[in-house]
Amino acid sequence: MGVNPLDIIREYLPFLASGTLFTIGFSLGGIIFGTILGLFICFGKRIRNKLLRAPFVCYITFFRGTPLYVQILIIHFGLVPLIFHQSNGILAGVIALSLNEAAYIAEVFRAGIQSIDEGQTEAARSLGMDRFQAMRYVILPQAVRRVLPPMGNEFISLIKDSSLIAAIAAPELTYWAQAMGAQYAIVWTPYLTISFIYLILTLTMSYLVNRLERRMATK
Amino acid sequence: MMIKVEKLKKTFGENEVLKDINLDVEKQEVVVVIGPSGSGKSTLLRCINQLETITSGHVFIEGTDISDKNANINKIREDVGMVFQQFNLFPHMTVLDNIMLAPTKVKKVNKDKAKMKAMDLLGKVGLAEKADAYPDSLSGGQKQRIAIARALAMEPKMMLFDEPTSALDPEMVGEVLDVMKQLAEDGMTMVVVTHEMGFAREVGDRVVFMDGGYIVEENEPKKLFEQPQEERTKAFLSKVL
Ligand SMILES: Nc1ncnc2c1ncn2[C@@H]1O[C@H](COP(=O)(O)OP(=O)(O)OP(=O)(O)O)[C@@H](O)[C@H]1O
Ligand SMILES: [Mg+2]
Repeated sequence: MGVNPLDIIREYLPFLASGTLFTIGFSLGGIIFGTILGLFICFGKRIRNKLLRAPFVCYITFFRGTPLYVQILIIHFGLVPLIFHQSNGILAGVIALSLNEAAYIAEVFRAGIQSIDEGQTEAARSLGMDRFQAMRYVILPQAVRRVLPPMGNEFISLIKDSSLIAAIAAPELTYWAQAMGAQYAIVWTPYLTISFIYLILTLTMSYLVNRLERRMATK
Repeated sequence: MMIKVEKLKKTFGENEVLKDINLDVEKQEVVVVIGPSGSGKSTLLRCINQLETITSGHVFIEGTDISDKNANINKIREDVGMVFQQFNLFPHMTVLDNIMLAPTKVKKVNKDKAKMKAMDLLGKVGLAEKADAYPDSLSGGQKQRIAIARALAMEPKMMLFDEPTSALDPEMVGEVLDVMKQLAEDGMTMVVVTHEMGFAREVGDRVVFMDGGYIVEENEPKKLFEQPQEERTKAFLSKVL
């Protein structure tokens, strides 16, 4: 009991700081790549031809139907070594989070696009727009507004879920909390500290999404 | 001949909605389509610009068979304006952007020119002061007039109207019909599905009565309304007139 918790936090401050940056980096990576890939998969799932659509359906089913933790293990111990001939926790972390996020974003987008009245597409097509133009100028801008709240929720989940990649020794927040706890055989100090930091990150994210929502609503 | 419909059939699953439709629309002609609910009026209009795919038969727009796989349907639709019962304005854009979107993106008209044209059209439908408003802030009658202006911005050679006044409060019907009447006087070729018999009588060159997926009878408005030949036409008219 001899050591003052504040001293431990002070000692670990550089690691907590870099861990926070890594957590932010993993989250941003997952959000950016996940959103781009998710949009692509969403359009893949809208293909009319069943055979061409099948891979996208399988993708979504797999990544939403299996635990993220298991996906992280598969990617870290299987996929990354297979492709790069060595393991790399950071790379595996970003890939796992992005691939997983993409499946959820694809579904969010699909629901958003479906929620736009069919009459909008018909009006656009009747004016001579092709399917692509109708999607780009009429449907997507409306869908984006509608999917903003559920997207925000996905992003917040992603920040929290990024803690799972501590399991593959990616040096993010939870990883350093575990190290701290192990070195001093303590529980409360490290995990309450990172809980606090995670809270700041998720609250910031929800604030940003809220602001964006309001800005788009007034436009 | 602007529009020629030949032996058109349309089925939805088991339900044969259009059974054998033959219809010719001449240049500058105003054809009014009437008939009971479910008789296939909307489906016929939607087949004419391929919003519905045709099951069998043909639709020719200025001689081009649009059911032909090689037909460029996007190009053809530029010439066929459509106005919907529910307006279908784009809610995320101002009135001006609604009108300018298709000309600038589809026809690649430059912005200044498109804007001038749009303002001109807004003036014609009496809504120049609403250029920067969003559709949600407009009344139903104003929305429909904007929708007409939006269709006209593509400079179509013919216009299809599917019950353009049916979603409006009664006091707004007149302002929309006036715009359509003006359009007819300017020589636009029009096919209008409507329950407004006054409009049919006054503006229509020909009235087509549909029932059960067939064109039962067609004639000049005066003759059709005053001396209907078919029993089904008589029964329908006795209910609506
Ligand atoms: N997309 C669709 N799928 C299945 N059935 C349809 C579809 N569209 C129309 N129908 C059916 O086709 C029939 C004719 O519909 P349509 O809308 O053309 O009638 P209408 O004459 O325009 O009627 P109303 O005056 O009510 O608008 C109806 O029985 C309708 O249920
Ligand atoms: Mg109808």
